[in-house]
Amino acid sequence: MMNYFPDEVIEHIFDYVVSHSDRNALSLVCKSWYRIERCTRQRVFIGNCYSITPERLIQRFPGLKSLTLKGKPHFADFSLVPYDWGGFVHPWIEALAKNKVGLEELRLKRMVVSDESLELLSRSFTHFKSLVLVSCEGFSTDGLAALAANCRFLRELDLQENEVEDHKGQWLSCFPDNCTSLVSLNFACLKGEVSLGALERLVARSPYLKSLKLNRSVPFDALQRIMMRAPQLSDLGIGSFVHDPESEAYIKLKNTILKRKSITSLSGFLEVAPHCLAAIYPICPNLTSLNLSYAAGIQGSDLIKLIRHCVKLQRLLIMDCIGDKGLDVVATSCKDLQELRVFPSVPFGNPAAVTEKGLVAISMGCPKLHSLLYFCHQMTNAALITVAKNCPNFIRFRLCILDATKPDPDTMQPLDEGFGAIVQSCRRLRRLSLSGQLTDQVFLYIGMYAEKLEMLSIAFAGESDKGMLYVLNGCKKLRKLEIRDCPFGNVALLTDVGKYETMRSLWMSSCEVTVGACKLLAKKMPRLNVEIFNENEQEDCSLEDGQKVEKMYLYRTLAGKRKDAPEYVWTL
Amino acid sequence: MFDAAMAVVKPEMKSYIWLQTVDGSIQQVEEEVAMFCPMICQEVLQTGLGSSKTYAISLPQRVNPAMLGLILDYCRFHQVPGHSNKERKTFDEKFIRMDTKKLCELTSAADSLQLKPLVDLTSRALARIIEGKTPEEIRETFHLPDDLTEDLCQEEKLEPLRNITDDPRIRLLNRLYARKRKELKERKKLKDVEVEEEPKDERSVEDLLSFINGADGDIKGTRANKNKKKNRRRKDHAKDISSENTNENDKELNPLPSAYHDVNFDNALEASASKHSRTQNLPAINFSPKFEFIDGDVDDDLDPAMKEELDREVEDFARRLNSDWPERMQILSLGQDRRLVPISMNSNGSTHLYTGFDQR
Repeated sequence: MMNYFPDEVIEHIFDYVVSHSDRNALSLVCKSWYRIERCTRQRVFIGNCYSITPERLIQRFPGLKSLTLKGKPHFADFSLVPYDWGGFVHPWIEALAKNKVGLEELRLKRMVVSDESLELLSRSFTHFKSLVLVSCEGFSTDGLAALAANCRFLRELDLQENEVEDHKGQWLSCFPDNCTSLVSLNFACLKGEVSLGALERLVARSPYLKSLKLNRSVPFDALQRIMMRAPQLSDLGIGSFVHDPESEAYIKLKNTILKRKSITSLSGFLEVAPHCLAAIYPICPNLTSLNLSYAAGIQGSDLIKLIRHCVKLQRLLIMDCIGDKGLDVVATSCKDLQELRVFPSVPFGNPAAVTEKGLVAISMGCPKLHSLLYFCHQMTNAALITVAKNCPNFIRFRLCILDATKPDPDTMQPLDEGFGAIVQSCRRLRRLSLSGQLTDQVFLYIGMYAEKLEMLSIAFAGESDKGMLYVLNGCKKLRKLEIRDCPFGNVALLTDVGKYETMRSLWMSSCEVTVGACKLLAKKMPRLNVEIFNENEQEDCSLEDGQKVEKMYLYRTLAGKRKDAPEYVWTL
Repeated sequence: MFDAAMAVVKPEMKSYIWLQTVDGSIQQVEEEVAMFCPMICQEVLQTGLGSSKTYAISLPQRVNPAMLGLILDYCRFHQVPGHSNKERKTFDEKFIRMDTKKLCELTSAADSLQLKPLVDLTSRALARIIEGKTPEEIRETFHLPDDLTEDLCQEEKLEPLRNITDDPRIRLLNRLYARKRKELKERKKLKDVEVEEEPKDERSVEDLLSFINGADGDIKGTRANKNKKKNRRRKDHAKDISSENTNENDKELNPLPSAYHDVNFDNALEASASKHSRTQNLPAINFSPKFEFIDGDVDDDLDPAMKEELDREVEDFARRLNSDWPERMQILSLGQDRRLVPISMNSNGSTHLYTGFDQR
């Protein structure tokens, strides 16, 4: 039917196909579609920066404009991956610059970004517009200054949860006076002072600015002046919200807020005095997104008062100090809620924090919920079964019981049946994180029912190799598997080695696999990089086959062994 | 006829454009409706055609009467200025509710008439049909050829077998594989027509059989077969010379031409030599270092194809790679079995080998 279409029409149809997976499917249909897709693709996602070389990428997609790259394994967020493991972005920027790619957007996650990289980036791409850095490290405000000074068309600078060396606050002054293109600016994760004057002038001359997220050094009165100058803002991140409610600045801000109906997304409150919160109540009825996961100063009752006003919320990120009572209020007030993330407020859990009761209430009150991240003290099978029944639309279900091996406190049974109910009921589940006491039975359920599962995190679970084998055999769409502190050994690792070529990566730490098994796997599968981390100095002279592997990370690659691995990383 | 009647009744209220589709049928269309199509508009303004039945505008081949009818329905609605955006949207949504085949035809026809709003509408609808589907499903929906992996599969099957026992038959098979890989590469460069593909495949099998049978007894029937293959070999020889020239032009400084020359020289010897000479030549060919060099070079060139495959992140294909091993091992075991079979059972051995090729 499509054979007689001219290429322009097919290209036109492809323009409307935007998701990465759909574009990937297009390129595999037939020769002519492969060719057309190759020439028209502008946005590419690479889930592992070591899976392919920059040169290969550029050769394959000559029209590249937007690149998304990921570096370190996800467990880096839990300090399991050493600081200098890798994930360097510099070779990519060098290759893109050398080949004169018309790069406009770069999104990086868990990568090492140096000031040198940012400097090169800022000078090499004439129409560079957008930089998003999530959980990256290695750069300082000097790199940001280069971006500000050199990128004449910069629209988006979004820094989320990065480790940034803060030399001085003058980087904002490096935006040239004729820079008016900013649409989104986020520096909430910066720790140091910024030039308030430069910030206010920048905001004043940016008529398209929609999203602004401030760090804690931006005080209350500056916030008020900024809001006065940027009435078009729809996404606001507040740095400091501390002031005397009787002061003139507070009254001014209150009046400014009363006039603002455009804000639909609110975050931050990195420093906050609870008695000032009443000032923002007028904004709440319009909010669809609220992120208070860094607002340690807002405690239970104040939090509840605030959320009671947010009746249109679709996305809520909070700390567990909201308690089950607060989640009851969320369930009652936020009928449109789609995504909920509850983070621990103190490292090892708050005794007054959320439990299964809060989650059950949410599942009853918020039928549209499809994405959950829930740190809690305990969970029961009965609660999970109820949640599965109430919310069958989960795509992401991540449960983190802070006592990782805790059984159902009501029955003292493992939580197998509860998670079994989740995977059986939620047929569209793509991401799952397990915790609590679990036997191989839960993996049997996952292998049987989780047909669309792409990412699975396992900790302190299972009894034997069977558990891992159930998952590898059953989950046809699995891309990422992360395992720590589980009794899975060589039989599990070596039974279905072909599976790993269909996956992006596998992480195993504190399990039962040996060096010999990893060597055998690497020998069998030349297109996998099998990395062993040997962080103990004493043993760096040799690796014996019978020795247990502390950390192993394997990923499929076309690029072969990487050349930037530190000494303690052995690529077999 | 009704249109004609209307023309008679109200001759001064409306103008009409005459349009002819590829099947020869001609119809009369309101001018403002027809002119909504940029292609028709240009034709009227530039050539003056369309004013009468004898000077009808000939529409592009992709516009058949059914598609023209749909397009004119679309134009009739949208050229009227008074409709609200909501009404237009509702009309569009109803309009594109049709089966995929018809939607494709409509897109093609609208494109040939340069009717961009309709092309946008149908393209978006086709994109929605594509979303969420696997490549196999897309191929099935739009009847597209599964030609992306064809050559790759062939090349993959032609990879050299490991010759652990130094079996001369496996060595011959690898040599034929190498030749076939070269042919595939040349075909890619020259963009040969697909029709030629099958004869080459057949020749490959026959070449192998001729090597194996040629080394054996001198029954009269066998001699007759030998004569036929000798003729075919001469043709191959000429083709090799031609391809050698092509390669020389492409790679002036590449040492390969001399290697190719040596191989061709060996072939020439075989073609002209007696049975005894051919038997004697086999060991020489088996141990030729240049032959190994050629193999190595070809192997390196295969990397891009394998890389292409991995780029596609398709689970099925990766598994197919693994499932291909049994076939290859089967061929290998056939070779070994053949080695163990007494000479008196040649015909059975040949049959088995041929069966193996069929399966492959």
